[in-house]
Amino acid sequence: MAHSEQPTPDRIGPMWTPSREPSRPTWGWILQAVTGALVLILVTLHMIANHFVVAGGLRDFADVVAYLSNPVVVVLEVLFLVVVTAHGLLGLRAVLFDFGLGPRLEAAITRVLAVLGVAIVAYGLWLTWTITSYH
Amino acid sequence: MNAELDPASDTHATADTGVPIRFRVYRRKAGDRGGHFDEFTIEVAPDTTVLDALVAIRTRLDPTLVLRHSCFHASCGTCGLRVNDAEVMGCVTKVLELGTSTVKVEPIANEALVSDLATDMVDFYARLAAIGRPLIRDSEWLADSIEPAGIESYNRFESCIECGLCISACPVVATDSRYLGPAALAAAERAVAEPRGLDPNFVLDLADDPQAAWRCHAAFECTEACPSAVDPAGAIMALRRRAASRRLRSLFGWRKP
Amino acid sequence: MSEQSVGRTAPERRADGASTRRRGIVGWGDPRGRRLGGFAFILNRLTGLGVLLYLSFHLVVLSLLARGPSAWDGFVSLAGSPLFLCFDVVLIFGLLFHGLNGIRVTLVGFGLVVDRQRAMLVALMVIGAIVLLIASVHILTVG
Repeated sequence: MAHSEQPTPDRIGPMWTPSREPSRPTWGWILQAVTGALVLILVTLHMIANHFVVAGGLRDFADVVAYLSNPVVVVLEVLFLVVVTAHGLLGLRAVLFDFGLGPRLEAAITRVLAVLGVAIVAYGLWLTWTITSYH
Repeated sequence: MNAELDPASDTHATADTGVPIRFRVYRRKAGDRGGHFDEFTIEVAPDTTVLDALVAIRTRLDPTLVLRHSCFHASCGTCGLRVNDAEVMGCVTKVLELGTSTVKVEPIANEALVSDLATDMVDFYARLAAIGRPLIRDSEWLADSIEPAGIESYNRFESCIECGLCISACPVVATDSRYLGPAALAAAERAVAEPRGLDPNFVLDLADDPQAAWRCHAAFECTEACPSAVDPAGAIMALRRRAASRRLRSLFGWRKP
Repeated sequence: MSEQSVGRTAPERRADGASTRRRGIVGWGDPRGRRLGGFAFILNRLTGLGVLLYLSFHLVVLSLLARGPSAWDGFVSLAGSPLFLCFDVVLIFGLLFHGLNGIRVTLVGFGLVVDRQRAMLVALMVIGAIVLLIASVHILTVG
């Protein structure tokens, strides 16, 4: 018996209806899980490379330039920045969304955080370029 | 209001075994600006429950105290309360086992209040109705239907007594009224796990929503608070597993007929 | 009764004026009556926001690198001070808790290990405590 043929329960109050966002509704959660896993790996690599390779555990300027002269390092550090920014801003978005804001405010927050994320990554790229081209 | 009960007239205690306990009971009537606590001191016996004490308070000390109760054995789900900040069924919670000389009694959280300790469960039932409850399956129309194989493994999801303790304990429900909530989602998983002729996709569509199964943050407070071992959080994660595999299957072009 | 859709409009006051008495964000901060999983949820939020805050400081501090060796090396000498190292320990705690609890939330959230999730949480916290101890000793002695 299909559901539509079921007897309708007497309505005793307002019905809960799903929020039904038009496009892939759970991308936020899945992206959070994926970026989280990547951050776990990359932050460990980042910590080891920056605090366990150089004597004393802190890189001075010359150490930093030497570190970033390796293109593999640059790729990994940029990747790290991208995923940690994504995970962090998605998390901030999740916390803000828990406050029960309306759909328009939520859409605005998503847009603002997306722009902020792009700006942070752009800053990281600029900084890396500046350091590696220092004379 | 402060009041004390003469132990000799209290049938819940004797002069030898009565332990005086102070009850701070939340009071709020329609039209009040906010709630307040009234204090009642009564003597309790070792097996006096919180509900026994509240009924004694109402019948002997303050007849204006409003509370819900029915069966006195945790199967009707109406006496859910927050006692010393924990979600419990009043009828099976012994006062002396709480271990405090002052017992705070409040209504369950995150539902509107009718009066004092009685919450309005309209919102709660509306969410159950949304997932199609009551569900009437094919087999229930047949007088001579046979129990399906494996039914004993689903018994615990039938255990929900609709008490609302999970709703009170959930930190997400506490901040967002759009979240479907653990009770309705446990009921949804129950319907999908054992459809008995009902089309489960209707329920799964409702559960596969950012404000339904995906809204949970895995605090598992609902499962800890549940007096009937329904394990709503487990049900929510099971729904996610079903929703995810359904999406994956449709991605590869295979749809359930 | 009207067909008010609770899911879409999410009113905090119903049509008859009754408040839904949600415990709200203030309820998050109330530890009374809360169980292990609830604490994990709150702490996950706090450490997440804390590490995000740290990330913003970190990105600002890194801009010193653009100003050359003297600016950066000056900061490096500051970074070895005891106060700084104590903040580092707090940071490591935040990262460890958030990361390890995150493993639990991810696995459980995809429907895996759900029936043993509480045991998994305890195990992960024990691992985290051990790693934190080793890391703290290393940070505060080697610097």
